[in-house]
Amino acid sequence: MAKLIFVVLLTLIPILCTSFSPEKPSDRRILVLLDDFAVKSSHSLFFKSLQSRGFDLEFKLADDPKIALQRYGQYLYDALVLFCPTIERFGGSIDAAAVLDFVDSGHDLIVGADNNASDLIREIATECGVDFDEDSAAMVVDHSGYAVSSTEGDHTLIASDDFIKSDVILGSKKIEAPVLFQGIGHSLNPSNSLVLKVLSASPTAFSANPKSKLTSPPSLIGSSISLVSVIQARNNARILISGSLSMFSNRFFRSDVQKAGSPTKHDKSGNEQFFTELSKWVLHERGHLKAVNVQHHKVGETNEPSIYRINDDLEYSVEIYEWSGTTWEPYVADDVQIQFYMMSPYVLKTLSNDSKGRYFTSFKVPDVYGVFQFKIEYERLGYTSLSLSKQIPVRPFRHNEYERFIPAAYPYYGAAFSMMAGFFVFSAVHLYNK
Amino acid sequence: MARSSTSTSKDAQDLFRALWSAYSATPTNLKIIDLYVLFAIFTALLQVVYMALVGTFPFNSFLSGVLSCVGTAVLAVCLRIQVNKENKEFKDLAPERAFADFVLCNLVLHLVIMNFLG
Repeated sequence: MAKLIFVVLLTLIPILCTSFSPEKPSDRRILVLLDDFAVKSSHSLFFKSLQSRGFDLEFKLADDPKIALQRYGQYLYDALVLFCPTIERFGGSIDAAAVLDFVDSGHDLIVGADNNASDLIREIATECGVDFDEDSAAMVVDHSGYAVSSTEGDHTLIASDDFIKSDVILGSKKIEAPVLFQGIGHSLNPSNSLVLKVLSASPTAFSANPKSKLTSPPSLIGSSISLVSVIQARNNARILISGSLSMFSNRFFRSDVQKAGSPTKHDKSGNEQFFTELSKWVLHERGHLKAVNVQHHKVGETNEPSIYRINDDLEYSVEIYEWSGTTWEPYVADDVQIQFYMMSPYVLKTLSNDSKGRYFTSFKVPDVYGVFQFKIEYERLGYTSLSLSKQIPVRPFRHNEYERFIPAAYPYYGAAFSMMAGFFVFSAVHLYNK
Repeated sequence: MARSSTSTSKDAQDLFRALWSAYSATPTNLKIIDLYVLFAIFTALLQVVYMALVGTFPFNSFLSGVLSCVGTAVLAVCLRIQVNKENKEFKDLAPERAFADFVLCNLVLHLVIMNFLG
């Protein structure tokens, strides 16, 4: 019996191993931490869209004492969804440092906060470069950009359509309907250059407690308030932080929306499209690049030399692909540049491409010898950064590689030989005259 | 003014004439060396003019061409100093020995020049 179980397990191994890998960079296993299992059904549309794209979701209460991100030093999940804005302490072995280590090792994170978000969630957000409004009762209020609604009168339900202009993050299809938001605003840490505002508040918005009278000027105002932000870390881990958990809810996904002052009423808010597209980006189904098959050789040859000579003509090529969620598709762009680099770039050239993912160029090695590098540093908004470098030495001419018998030098040759002839003639005359 | 100018040119003529008559007394073998030195310097100047016209490109060839002329001239001047009978400094040095030194130095010079000529 035990043998049988072992054999069954052995055949299951390839199925169990469908986790994140460089060949398949999409996340597969996602841990979802909730405050309350009610969220599982009230936000089911969002979870269903993930599951329908092949993700394996595991729902746990955030204070479940048995939850763990890793076992025996191996991470059990590829991404973490924190839909538990009020949790003060995670159960099990997870704490803020464990979540940040999870991100540091290249895994992805989705945080849905809310007003009265706990210090723990705020701390995680702060570490990611996002500072929530310190007043825990504060919400984003917008008296001119609110969503028209029959029940709510405090203008905290905002209809925002101020998206980041990036096709790779939000998909190429334009989001027509405004996105509904109700929750806490945050500002971006100016010292963090990796964090991006995906959905920002309108210039008339401010962050304050809607239930009390405004006595002092609000600390967060206008379009500096970010409603939804993303971060792509240097290790290409991606983080999504939203100031509203209800944004993800079925109610907001299915709600009709009409922005105040706008005559058009949309039957369906932009939330579903917004988060479907944004989660594709966060979970590496889009904008994940890889560079393979770096080749360089002298013009007219095919083998890669171990050393180049100054003034050699060389050809360089590399293939760049983008992960589409299921396959590697050729990446087409006209701004990929190669550097031939020794302390500073001696050659900086834009690569041409054949629209099949192959990028190529040819150039002349500079008239300088030393140890060079072929370098590609490709960092574009929304794409994972590509950083390739390949070292190659460049030598000067050998002694016998210099040009000889140059026509312009014949007068000098003549002078040297006439001096020798003159020496013979002079010697003869000098000796004869003794 | 005109008088003084004619007298100056007359003085110069006198000077050159005196110089030439003094030089005519120089032994023939020294005159031959002088001719040889002039030939070398003239060749060197020709090359400098040529370089100024066509550019410095085979610079090693230019250097070796000019230096072979300059070296030849210097060695010839050294020989002239040593074989001059009126020069008391080298009165113990046989002219044959001086000529042998000259030949040896020329061989070394032209060996270097050939290597550098390209």
